[in-house]
Amino acid sequence: MGKMSRFISVSLGLLLVASNLSAQTVDFEVDIWPVLQTSCVGCHGAETHEGNLRLDAKAIAFQGGITGVGIVPGKPEESSVYLRLISDDEGERMPADEEPLPAEQIEAVRRWIEQGAKWPDGIGSAATEVSRHWAYVAPVRPVIPAVQHSMWPANAIDYFVLAKLEENEIQPSSPVERRRLVRRVYLDLLGYPPTVEQVEAFVSDQTPNAYEALIEQLLASPQYGVRWARPWLDLARYADSNGYQADQYRNVWPYRDWVINALNHDMPFDQFTIEQIAGDLLESPTISQQIATGFHRLTTLNVEGGTDPELSRLNQVIDRVNTTATVWLGSTIECSQCHNHKYDPFSQKEYYELLAYFNNTPLEVNGTSSSFKFYGPTVDVDRSLKDRRALAALHKEQTGKQAALDALVANLDAEYPQWIQKVMETSQDESEWHVMVPSDPVSVNGATLRILEDNSILSTGKNPDKDIYEISFLVEQPMVTGFKLEALTHDELPGKGPGRYTAERPNFVLQEFTLHHGDSQLQLTDGIADFSQANYGVNKAVDGDPQTAWAIAPQFFKSHWAEFLVAEPLQSEGPIKLTARLVMNYGGSRVIGRIRLSAMTGQRMTDAYSKRAQKLVAKQQRSAQEEKELKEIFLKSHAKYAKAQADIAAVNKKITALRAPTALVMKELDKPRETHMLIRGEYKNNGDLVSAATPSILHPSETSDANNRLDLAQWLVSPNNPLVARVTVNRWWAEFFGKGLVKTEEDFGSQGDAPTHPQLLDWLAVEFMEQDWSMKHIHKLIVTSSTYQQDAKSRPELQEIDPTNRLLARMPRLRMSAEGIRDTMLQISGLLELQMGGAPIYPPQPAGIWRHVGRNAPSYKTSTETDRYRRGIYVIWRRSAPYPAFINFDAPDRTSCVVSRSRTNTPLQALTLLNDPMYWEMTKALGQRLHAVDIEGLREKVAYAFTRTVSRSPSEREIDILSELYTETVLQLKDRPQDLQELIGQKDLAASPELGAWYYLANVLLNLDETITRN
Amino acid sequence: MDRDLNLELTRRELFRTGGMGLGASALMSLLGQEATADPSFRNPLQARQSNYPAGAKSVIYIHMIGAPSQLDLYVDKPKLRDMTGELCPEELFNSQQFAFIRNRPKMYGSQFKFRRFGESGQKFSELLPEIGSMADEIALIETMHGEQINHSPAQLFMQTGFGRFGRPSMGSWVTYGLGSENENLPSFVVMVTGSVGGAGNSMWGSGFLPSIYQGVEFRANGDPVLFLSNPKGIRRADRRRIVDTINQLNREQLVDLGDPEIATRIGQYEMAYKMQSSVPNLMDTSGETESTHALYGTTPGKAGFANNCLLARRLVERGVRFVQLFDQGWDHHSGIEKSIRNKTKSVDKPIAALLKDLKQRGLLDETLVICGSEFGRTPMVQGGLENAGRDHHKDCFSIWMAGGGIRGGVRVGESDDLGFSITKDPVSVHDFHATVLHLLGMDHTALTYKYQGRQFRLTDVAGNPVQKILA
Repeated sequence: MGKMSRFISVSLGLLLVASNLSAQTVDFEVDIWPVLQTSCVGCHGAETHEGNLRLDAKAIAFQGGITGVGIVPGKPEESSVYLRLISDDEGERMPADEEPLPAEQIEAVRRWIEQGAKWPDGIGSAATEVSRHWAYVAPVRPVIPAVQHSMWPANAIDYFVLAKLEENEIQPSSPVERRRLVRRVYLDLLGYPPTVEQVEAFVSDQTPNAYEALIEQLLASPQYGVRWARPWLDLARYADSNGYQADQYRNVWPYRDWVINALNHDMPFDQFTIEQIAGDLLESPTISQQIATGFHRLTTLNVEGGTDPELSRLNQVIDRVNTTATVWLGSTIECSQCHNHKYDPFSQKEYYELLAYFNNTPLEVNGTSSSFKFYGPTVDVDRSLKDRRALAALHKEQTGKQAALDALVANLDAEYPQWIQKVMETSQDESEWHVMVPSDPVSVNGATLRILEDNSILSTGKNPDKDIYEISFLVEQPMVTGFKLEALTHDELPGKGPGRYTAERPNFVLQEFTLHHGDSQLQLTDGIADFSQANYGVNKAVDGDPQTAWAIAPQFFKSHWAEFLVAEPLQSEGPIKLTARLVMNYGGSRVIGRIRLSAMTGQRMTDAYSKRAQKLVAKQQRSAQEEKELKEIFLKSHAKYAKAQADIAAVNKKITALRAPTALVMKELDKPRETHMLIRGEYKNNGDLVSAATPSILHPSETSDANNRLDLAQWLVSPNNPLVARVTVNRWWAEFFGKGLVKTEEDFGSQGDAPTHPQLLDWLAVEFMEQDWSMKHIHKLIVTSSTYQQDAKSRPELQEIDPTNRLLARMPRLRMSAEGIRDTMLQISGLLELQMGGAPIYPPQPAGIWRHVGRNAPSYKTSTETDRYRRGIYVIWRRSAPYPAFINFDAPDRTSCVVSRSRTNTPLQALTLLNDPMYWEMTKALGQRLHAVDIEGLREKVAYAFTRTVSRSPSEREIDILSELYTETVLQLKDRPQDLQELIGQKDLAASPELGAWYYLANVLLNLDETITRN
Repeated sequence: MDRDLNLELTRRELFRTGGMGLGASALMSLLGQEATADPSFRNPLQARQSNYPAGAKSVIYIHMIGAPSQLDLYVDKPKLRDMTGELCPEELFNSQQFAFIRNRPKMYGSQFKFRRFGESGQKFSELLPEIGSMADEIALIETMHGEQINHSPAQLFMQTGFGRFGRPSMGSWVTYGLGSENENLPSFVVMVTGSVGGAGNSMWGSGFLPSIYQGVEFRANGDPVLFLSNPKGIRRADRRRIVDTINQLNREQLVDLGDPEIATRIGQYEMAYKMQSSVPNLMDTSGETESTHALYGTTPGKAGFANNCLLARRLVERGVRFVQLFDQGWDHHSGIEKSIRNKTKSVDKPIAALLKDLKQRGLLDETLVICGSEFGRTPMVQGGLENAGRDHHKDCFSIWMAGGGIRGGVRVGESDDLGFSITKDPVSVHDFHATVLHLLGMDHTALTYKYQGRQFRLTDVAGNPVQKILA
């Protein structure tokens, strides 16, 4: 509305000035050029040329930028230079983010174009082509620069770094001490520190290639993949839940394991990309290649009731497009979802052309409008060896049992004709039902119970959260053998009932149904019902357990019945009065809206099968199907057969339990969807039809006929792609050095930062591609460089010239990631379990973190044993409530693609490391190990504790500080037996003050800045 | 602001204070007990001046999760009442996508009486007599409109200005803009009654802002702040000795390596130690007078929404910038009469008490109190009239504000006789956000953060402060 009125006022303004100008000829130099200079060339000039447009250069101005032709002489309405000035879309209108130009200036531009757009030669630049932004020009391997200090470089990286340093007359730092070096490289490559023994082994290894050998060893460790999967999973927004509302669990961990495995095998990055973007479209894709496509199945999804599935799908596709651009192109193209990109050369049309590649996968929710489920294509994953063995044994057992059953059936065959005869002779089911007359219905919580003409009772009026009905009935039959409870529909009930919950889900939940005669309660057994909800079987209403119940979801909107036998037939001379009691305490008004009770006389056939048998036997002719059914009833009447069948069922159940885990995958629809541009990015506001294509500013795509996701994937990792290799090596660089060579890791566009070492970036990018896209190769180059092996000590003398260490005259210190801190603590405390793969783990967390309720909300079952101490990457990631110790250390919620985590320093982090029960558990484990270690002398023991924690030897002063705490604490705890008892708090441990003091020291050591920092 | 600027400032400032060399003595004086109080120790939460004079210094934002019916609380529509039971006009039904209603529903007027309150004569429903009594402090926007029809996306939109995940919440934007006035407490505190909304922790997340700006939840059960209490057997004096030892050792490293991050960590361990007493002190309301407890209807030690209102006052009193209360249980798809009566009983008095209490302490002038939800509800019935409910409605709903910078007793906007469509002065969620920032002295177009090459705002590319409610 605001937009509209502004537009109107602008138009009026135009009308007013139009008359003043109508007769005049516009003079470019006087009326137009100054406007361009003042309002346009800041962004569209020689320095920056956003949208590939320069308005200081005649040729380019006429030609236009990415939006289309800039100036068509005589036709302002076809000239985007004019059209963008008058757009009523704030995202489109120029000048960007500013008030519109004064109406008279706009009118001058219009008239100038109308009058032929005369731009005299000699004014402005003669440029005819916009120079490309550096990142859109493919890298070529630069010449390695010459340096003075030629002994320093260990490999190419160092030449580039040193050349820059020498330019600034700075010396690199000296190499870091070896103990710190080995810790640094363990943390960077494996994600946890070395043991004391590993440190000593390296330090004492005098061979010249000791370091390189160590690197080879670490790169070959399977824990390398665990460490390096973490940043990739941030990009992939990997989590084990849907996000939103009840935030249900989803089985996606096979994808996580795929990433770890691919990194460990140093899968070439081009293949790594192709399998994730389009593994399903490869020829005869393997299971593994399909699992890889889980990358784009990791989008959040709202399965809240009442959502629009198509809108959900669109949101997912948009996320896939944006994430792809961020990860592989280092470009933010989401701006062009609504309008042409303001700064970078991506048009809105190109956005939807890219989107078209992702627009052909199926919906990922199903269900009715009020109840959705997450679904979509999956594949079965290979089972573990243990499971495969168990499964083979079960199959064998199954075969044996089946053979036994077959033999039994053959034996029984002879008895079949007699059995049929017997069934025919058996009297008909002689049971009869008699509706009982109710009286005095009471709702304990105040609902209005009304007796209707058909002797049913309707509950209306107040709709209590929970309720108990008590209703009297008259039994007039002399002998009653069973009772029937009907839950009936009625127009006055929500959705007609039969429950009173909601019109969409009129369920009821009946905890207990009891019948009382005076003081005695009738024993109801052998319930059958026309329908029971899963896990809410009818007999749960008569089992005396208030925690269990009968319910009927999702069979709403129709009547249901339940029949029970009485253990002892009820006999009497005259009519007797019974009281029925219905307990419905689930909450949310899940109570029965209308009920009716009947009494049974005569004998019910023992089960529903017998009734059916009667019917089938009575038939003149039986179809093959009916014959088979009858035979089955016959067999089931034999206890042996029933037992044998139950045995097989039990085995089958075990087999089902070992069913292959599934992974979410991408799958192309047989018939692709049409893709329309969305006007202003608005859902259902369809614009022009577009077809899949890649952005024109980048390298051309060599598409196949299909032009599908596979073509896109191949285009992304084409050696001609100027961005992908740079973006990728830059992210790794940032993991090692804290910041990328391009600081804005997520933005290589015109608004991003320029690289500090452009040649180094290009050299690494080319090297990466030429060395078969090997990640390990690049990592090895980095960690074996002299740059990487410098000391981390700050250098005050560089404060003025390089305050933020962009020139890398030393190694930066970096606080570790949340997961890295957990893994480090586990390693130091001796608890670390290196078991890999499989379903997520649930280490201890405080109660009440998972508070999301709702349909199928998962619950937190704290892991015991091994799983408790496995690496952080395996911790369950629930988007609505991620692991708190991780959140406090800047882990994202994984709802969207994250390129780099922030690295904050907060009091909550201190509290976490000091007090989190998970960390306290590690603290105690470390304390116990330190207490038990066989070393003579306090100072020696303290030194060991220190080295075990931070890998280096302590100074005398550091030993003093810790020893003092130890001695003081032992003294104090001797006088405080109560506190000591609480502190140790374990029956199997002697509560000695010395042990208590080691807990204190462990608490200190695990909280040191040095402990959680990559030096 | 540049992502690394704060960090880099820290370093620069540290070095400047230390002179050219990192003399150990200069460092020791800088990094003593009062490290965080030293003005040269720049931290990202340092209190900052707003762009221009502010109406309010802090915010208490109450969000009713599930979305109560504006038609039963704030907006009286006699015509709608008369139409109760009539079928919804065909064109109205076809004009909309509803979350749950599928068949043409009946209209459903409020079953509650409305009356006028105060000099302003604003109408409130009989369900809100206490809030009504504060009518002259309250400015109510009748014509809010959103874009999302389902809870979680609408909650995200209301809290972050964007209907999907990934953006910073209003509280983190405000904290990012203004910093904190209290160094012993978090600057952005969240308290939840009932289960948390569908959008989860993202409602107070920091999105792409550094995570230091995210809301910190004060919990009713267990530690009020996670990991606040010491392990068993560790007393406060023990914790002091442990923290002292940690900091002593960290200082050794600081002298050796000169990394200002170590100085910051030393400060944060001090702050953690202080929080271990300041947070329990804050949560302990036993020192409040009997009349205060009577006003809110609270009992010391008893958790709940009323208690959270009292705590909210105690928080802003201590300089906490942004306090957010979430209260679950307002999603009345059926049985609305009974449910909304019960719910309002639990909030009417404490919310009014909060306004009164702030006022009598002179805090209302500098505290902006907001009460809203993710959307409103339909004037049509969902289900039958017997157990009537209302469906989600995003095109016209209410939100009110009181306190700092607000002109009380004002109503904004008009809607049709059914309360279904806005007829005058629509206010978008971006407008609402722009208003709140304006009241805090910030120009919403200037509060930006560069991420992925773009200057992001809470208000995206839209929003104008609602002038009519500004004092």
